[in-house]
Formats: sequence, structure tokens, C-alpha cells
Amino acid sequence: MLPFDPQEFLLLAPEIFLTVCALVLLVVGSIGRGLDSRKTAFLSLVGIAVTTGLLFWAHGQSNGLPILAKMFILDNFAFFWKLVFLIATALTILLSVRFIEEGRYRAGEYYSLILLATTGMLFMASGFNLLSIWISLELMALSSYVLAGYFKRETRSNEAAIKYFVLGALSSGFLLYGISLLYGSTGTLNLEQLAGGLINATLNGNLLATVGWILLVIGLFFKIAAVPFHVWTPDVYVGAPTPVTAYLATASKAASFAILIRILYQGLGPLVVEWQVVVAAVAGLSMIWGNVAALTQTNVKRMLAYSSIAHAGYVLLGVLAASEMGLWAAMFYMFAYSFFTLGAFGIVLLLERKEYAGETYSDYAGLARRAPHLAAMMLVFMLALTGIPPTGGFFGKVYLFAAAVEAGWTWVAVIGVLTSAVSLYYYMGVVVQMYFKDADDTTPMPLRAPVLVATLGLCAFVTVLLGLLPGSLVELARSSVISVGWNLF
Amino acid sequence: MFDWLQGIPILSIICYVPLLGALFVIFFMRSGNGASIRRFATAVAALDFVISVPLWFAFDRDGDLFQFRESASWIESLGARYEFGIDGIALLLILLTTLLGVLAFLSSWSAIDNREKEYYVFMLLLQTGMLGVFMAMDFFLFYVFWEVMLVPMYFLIGIWGGPRRLYAAIKFFLYTLVGSVLMILGILALYFYNSTGLLGWGGLGNERTFFIPQFHEISAEIPLDLQIWIFLVFFVAFAIKVPMFPFHTWLPDAHVEAPTAGSVILAGVLLKMGTYGFVRFSLPILPEATLQLLPWMAGLAIIGIIYGALVAMAQKDMKKLVAYSSVSHLGFVMLGVFALNTAGLNGGILQMINHGLSTGALFLLVGVIYERRHTRMIADYGGISSVMPKFATIFMIITMSSIGLPVLNGFIGEFTILVGAFNRVWWWALVGVIGIVLGAAYMLWMYQRVFFGNITNPENEGLADLSGREMLYLVPIVVLCFWIGLYPKPFFEILEKPVDYVVTKIDLAENGGLAVIDGRVVEEKLAELEN
Repeated sequence: MLPFDPQEFLLLAPEIFLTVCALVLLVVGSIGRGLDSRKTAFLSLVGIAVTTGLLFWAHGQSNGLPILAKMFILDNFAFFWKLVFLIATALTILLSVRFIEEGRYRAGEYYSLILLATTGMLFMASGFNLLSIWISLELMALSSYVLAGYFKRETRSNEAAIKYFVLGALSSGFLLYGISLLYGSTGTLNLEQLAGGLINATLNGNLLATVGWILLVIGLFFKIAAVPFHVWTPDVYVGAPTPVTAYLATASKAASFAILIRILYQGLGPLVVEWQVVVAAVAGLSMIWGNVAALTQTNVKRMLAYSSIAHAGYVLLGVLAASEMGLWAAMFYMFAYSFFTLGAFGIVLLLERKEYAGETYSDYAGLARRAPHLAAMMLVFMLALTGIPPTGGFFGKVYLFAAAVEAGWTWVAVIGVLTSAVSLYYYMGVVVQMYFKDADDTTPMPLRAPVLVATLGLCAFVTVLLGLLPGSLVELARSSVISVGWNLF
Repeated sequence: MFDWLQGIPILSIICYVPLLGALFVIFFMRSGNGASIRRFATAVAALDFVISVPLWFAFDRDGDLFQFRESASWIESLGARYEFGIDGIALLLILLTTLLGVLAFLSSWSAIDNREKEYYVFMLLLQTGMLGVFMAMDFFLFYVFWEVMLVPMYFLIGIWGGPRRLYAAIKFFLYTLVGSVLMILGILALYFYNSTGLLGWGGLGNERTFFIPQFHEISAEIPLDLQIWIFLVFFVAFAIKVPMFPFHTWLPDAHVEAPTAGSVILAGVLLKMGTYGFVRFSLPILPEATLQLLPWMAGLAIIGIIYGALVAMAQKDMKKLVAYSSVSHLGFVMLGVFALNTAGLNGGILQMINHGLSTGALFLLVGVIYERRHTRMIADYGGISSVMPKFATIFMIITMSSIGLPVLNGFIGEFTILVGAFNRVWWWALVGVIGIVLGAAYMLWMYQRVFFGNITNPENEGLADLSGREMLYLVPIVVLCFWIGLYPKPFFEILEKPVDYVVTKIDLAENGGLAVIDGRVVEEKLAELEN
């Protein structure tokens, strides 16, 4: 007799369908010479679209309660994050078409790995048990390691993959060890029961539980690339193929945030006072170090890597608040952030030649004359990353700061606003090159890769739209917060 | 005859006409076609000025404090709304903005010869940003415009500026951004105090809102320690913008490197944002903190007056001289504002307008001569009144206006400020007088070295006098200088109510509402003003 109703599997239709898609692409891609990049990308997008449709259907069917022996939960919170992942994945696929084509890489494997990673993310957002969360996380991580090394013949890409793998494995070790200690001290892996178990355990001064949750949280900080657990980030982000970097910086980071929030708010809810101190320290360090280190970079991709560390710090402000507003602010921010970060990496990608050339600041010189539309879009992305209106980045940051102030963490918010002012310097460094410097070569850039440019246009449009009328996204994020039965508010 | 203005969203129209113009230029005009772009952009600015003038006539001097109200929902989850409305202070500054806008556009025709399309787009966007700042009645909306405005200015300095433009541009942007990001924390503190409370301060439990009059309303209920914190973060934001000593160091760089039109807008309008911020937010929302910190504020204003004047005197570059004179003049404005009485505030606000006109004109004039000779060094000139008589005459009038000669606008402003300062602390006025004397010294000395005597440099012999277009953008300023100088009454009339409001707020905090203004007890008067 099963401990659950088998019909509940139907609710996992989006995840199951996406897995099937990934496998089909893999098989089709390995028959003969396989499909070319465009066709495979198109098929993947169709897969994503159908998955999104199924997601809406499953969300409508679900009652928001845990399913399958409480391994997964289909609540509004999970739904919101899944939308973010699917959007970020679709944009990543659109960014990838050209690079696979020009590098003559096998398309099937690449897209199927992306879809598998996304499947892992979908499961992560729904995970309601430390074990199911860990397994989904590994599915995402293992696919990402391969993706990071996708330039097989490039040393830097290999280096990135190895570094990512070793440190990723280390962080998984932390996670797993933390999970086992928590299991040892509370006797459960279910997030709901874990909260109750932790109250008892900490009341009895159980050291195992304390070490357990700290290890667990450290493992998660690795995944979101927060200081001081960020050391892998710059090298991996620079070495990985740019679309993959964009994917890691958006979808992968968002997924890690989803489980971080789920675990902190649900499983570790009773320890809120303790973990807030840890999160505050990590948030402050990430904002300071991420921004300061970005100041000295000469490579735009590396600068964006450090900036993504800083942005992890900003989102942590919302997590730190442990309030409704903090939560929806973090969700709003990750949504908006995905668009302008993917956009920024997209521009980097467009200017790249022969894998890595064209990534330094000076390669952007005179872009405003050579390709005004690209420069204008990059300007929008840079303003959004700095947090200047009218962009989604501005509202995102204001919401996060507001949440931190409301929750009484004013000093962290002060670090946040001051470091965003610092970040202006290096983001505007790109703008200075594009608009204030002249290139040796002033001929207009030929318009290549129309799909890519259109994708960037979409990213820029959404970034500005969220900067003018953020209301409906805020409402969506808010409704995704309220329905969850957190132990906090 | 202007009743119809009440029925249409006139403020939004004025605010967004430049934006629409900019969009039109971006999408429908080719970058090679500089001549038609500049004509079009100038026409848009002129149209904007023309539709803003009726505000002056339609504004009801005896009516509500804020008029031409527009209200729409915007971000409901925060309680931020799209609220527009202006009082007399904002009205004057809006007219100044649209007027200086046209003049700055006209002056750019010959000064800007590369990347014209981008230039006029940024100028138009800047107009929208500045107008929005003065019109917003929602603190959040205000903040959005406040920050948006930085971006086009950054580009104007960075692309079309002088040799050190990159340094000046990023310095301007960084300085002002640091100020404004701190301000958002102050705004959030007010917002949460008004609703759910923050840190140790229990909230007032009102509905979440960023509506500025709501913050005015609760001013008496904000505890002093919180008031002081908020005042300090606002102070950093506004003091950087004004700029007050010691936050002024970005200003000479930005002014000297910016193109002429950029300097005009910067001095004419952008600096007024800081003083406007003090009058609109710091004083009426945080009156107790204002009184508490008054000696510091006045002290910095006084240091600014004297320091700015002394440094201006030492300058060899005309544009730098005018830039430092701004520090001194804005010190005057702040002295008037922090006199916290009717005369001081009236004078301070009027002097904001005066400074916009006279310093704007001085930058235009320096721009005129720079275009001809490509130097701004005082030593390169001398005796040019004989070859450029019209130029010399207008320069003289503006100089007189700047140093506060009777019959011209500067006199009215400075005199009123001194009256206000004298009533607050008598020796403030004394220092103010010293500042005026120093101001006369550096301006007249510069005038003498540039215009009088024989032509020493043969290159100056062939200088052409003002062209028709140049007269077109200089004469309106001269006319306004005389108007304000001879008949300032309409200006004071329009300022009466908002100034009264601020003064009453201050008196309420200072004397517990027992002071008597116009024969009525303060509280009674406040109630009357507020409805």
C-alpha cells in the first residue's frame, strides 16, 4: 500500500514532461549528425512552453498542500519561482543558438542538459523534504558542471568546470552532512516536522542540531555565491560559455534562493533569531566585497561575476527581513534581475569573438556609434544593475531596502545603499566606454544574430516596463507569499 | 480666462511634452540631420514653456496650497500613488525650468556640433526629469524623478564637456547618487513611522502612503531623535545638491567641464532642487530637528557665502569664477531659508529664481565669448567692450543683478534675506553684508579686466558682437531681472501662502503654537491654511 495517492503524480506533469523532453532531445541529437542548433533550440522552446502550460494547469489543480508523502509541495511560492526558472531558461536558450552554431558543438546534448538542469530547479522550488531538495539540487548542479565545461577545447572552460565541480561537490558535502546531523537530532527530513523537532532539540541545548543547520546554510550560501563562500564564482563565470554563465547567474541562483528561503522560513523557522544574524553578516559581506572587487576588474564578464555576488547580498536583505515584504521583495528582485542580467550577458556574448576575445572594457569603446541600439540596451541593463529608475532594478532594490528597514535591520540597509552607490562606478565604466570613448574602428557593426538582438530587446523592454509599472508583478509576488504556511509571519 | 486649465492634466502635459519630443527624435529623426533636430527640439522646449505660462495666470493665489492636482493609482502594494500638484514655490521653479530650457536649447545651436541627436534627446529627458521633481506630491514619485534626472546630466557632461569631462561626470553622478540613496532611507523611515513603526519607534498606525502632505500633517508627532536622524540623511542629499560647504567640491568640476547649456541647467535648476528639498521636506516635516540643528545649518551657509566668494575672487577662469560664485549665492539662499521667518524664506526662494536667471545668464555669456575665442581665461581678454558693445551692456546688467544692485532682481532677494537673517540672529546679516561686498568685488574686478581698457590681445580685435539668436536668449533674462527688481510684488504674492505654511509649522514647533502671526494664534492659522 502506497503512503500516497498515485494520482498525485499527475500534478508533477510539468516536471515529468520536461524530463521527457530532455531525454528525447538527447536521443534525437545523437542519431546520425543530429539536428542543428536552431531546430533543437526551437524544440526546446516548445518544450518549455508546454511545460509552462502544464505548470499553470497543475497549479490550478493543486490545493497547495504537500503531496507524495510530503516530499513536494505545490504552493504559490513554488509556482512563482518556477515561472522565473522557465522564463530564464527560455531566454538562455534564445541566447545560446548562435554560440552552439558557430562553435559547431552538438546541439542535442547542450539543450538537453539545460532542460535537465531546469527540471532540477522545478523540483527544487517544490521540494518539501530535505532529501528531495538535495536530490533535485544535485540534478541541477551536475548538469551545470557539464555545461560550464562545454568549450571542450578551451583551457579556461575546462578549468571552470573542474573548479565548479570540486567546490560544488564540497558544498554538496556540507549540505548533506548538515542534513544528516539535523536528521540525527530531530529524526525527520520533512520541513514541517523539522521545525517542530528543532524547537525541542534547541530547548535541550542540542549541539548537533546547531552544527547541522549551520552546515546546511553554508552549503546553500555556496550555491547562491555569497561571500565568504563565493571564491569559485569569478573563475567559473568567466570560463564558462557566456550563455551558460548567464544561466548560472540567473536561473541557477534563483533556484538556490528558492530552497534557501524554503528551508530558512519553513524548516528553520523556529531559529529565526539565530539565522538572521548569520544572514545579515553574509549579506553585508557580499555587498561590500562583491562591489569592491568589481571595481578593479578590466574584464566585463568578470565584473558581472562579482556584481552577481553583490546582488546575492541584496537579495539576502529581503531574506533577512523574515517578513512578508522581505519575501516578496526578494522574489520581485530575482524576477527582474533575471531579465537585466541575462540582457547584460547577452550583450557580452554578442561582442565576443572566438570564444573569449572582446570581453574587456575597452572592447566596448565607441559602441554607441557603431551599434546605437546595442549600446542603449546595455545602458538600460547597467542602470538596472545600479538600481537607477526607470528600471526594474530600482524598484527591486527599494523594496529590498524597505523590507530591511521595516524589519529593523537598518545598518544592513545602509551598507546596501552605500554599496549601490559604489557600484555606479564600475557599471558606468561600461557606459563611459560605450558613449564617451571613440573606437579606432567607427564603422557600423553589422547586425548579426537577429534572434539574439530581439531577445535582448525583450529583456530591455521588460526591465523598463518593471521600472514604470511594477504593480502587477508585485501583486503576483505578494500573492505567492501569503498563501504559504510559513512558521514566521 | 484660464479656468479650463483646471479640467485637464496640465502638469502631466507640461512634464511629458519633452519626453514625447525625445521619443520622437529617437525614433523618427535621422542622426545626420542636425539642423532639423535642433529646430525640432527647441520648438518642443518652446512649446513646453508656452503651455506652462498659463499656470502663472490660472494659479489661484487665495486658493488651496497645492493646485492643479492630479491623482492616479500607481503601486498599490506600497501605497505609492501618482500624485501631481504645485504650490507657489513649485510654480515659480517650473516656470524657471521651462524658460531656462528654451534659452539653453537656443544657446546649444552653435555650441554643439557633434552627436546632436543624442544631445537633444538627453536635454529633453532632463527637462522631464526636473519638471517631475517639482510637480510630484508623492515622495516616492519625487524620488524617481530625482534620480532619473541624474542620468541625462551625466551624459551631457561626459560627452559634450571639456577636457576633464570623464572625471567631472562620474564625480557629479557619484556625489549626487550617494546623497539620494541616503535620502531613500529617510523617506522609508518616514513612511514606516507613519504606518507600522520602525526600530524602537512605534508607528502612528496610519495607512501606508508616500503622500507628502500626510508627512507634513504628522510633523508634530515625530519624536525629536527620529527627526534628527531623518533630517541628517535629508541634509546630506540636499546639501550635496545645493551644494553647501563642505559638499560643494563636485560643483566647480561639473560646471567647468559641462557644455554651456549643461551649466545653465545645472546652475539654474538642478542646484535649486537642494534648496527646494529643504523648504518642501526638511523644514515643514522636521521642524523640531530644524530648530535643533539651526546653528549648524546657518554656520555652513555662512561659511559657504564667504568661502565661495573668496575662492571666486582667486579664479583666472571666468566659468570657474561663476561656478564658485554659485556656492556663495546658494549660501545666501540657505541663510534666508534657515532664518525660518517670512522675510527670510521669501527672500531665499526669490533668490533661488534670481540666481537661476543671473547665473544662467552669466554662463550663457561666458559661453558666447568662449565660442568665439575658445578660451575662458580672464587674462586673454581686456578692453573688449569696444568691439562688443551689446555684449558688454548685457554682461554689465547681469553683473549688477548678480551683485545685488537696486532696481535689479538680486537686490530684492538679498535685501529680503538680510532682513530675515537679522530678525533671527542679527550678526548673520552682518556676515551676509560682507558676502555682498565680496561678491561685488570679484564680479566687478572680473568685468573690469575683461571689458575695460585697451584691447591688449590682437586676436580680440575682430570679435563679432551678439547675433540675433544670442540676443533672443539673453534679452528675456534681462527683462525678467528688471521686472523682479522693479515690481517683485506678484512673486511675493504667489509665495505668500506656501511660505506662511512653512513658517507656521516652524513656529508651532518653536513656541508650541502660542506665537501670533497676522493677529491669529498659530494653530488656528495652520488649520486655515491646510484646508
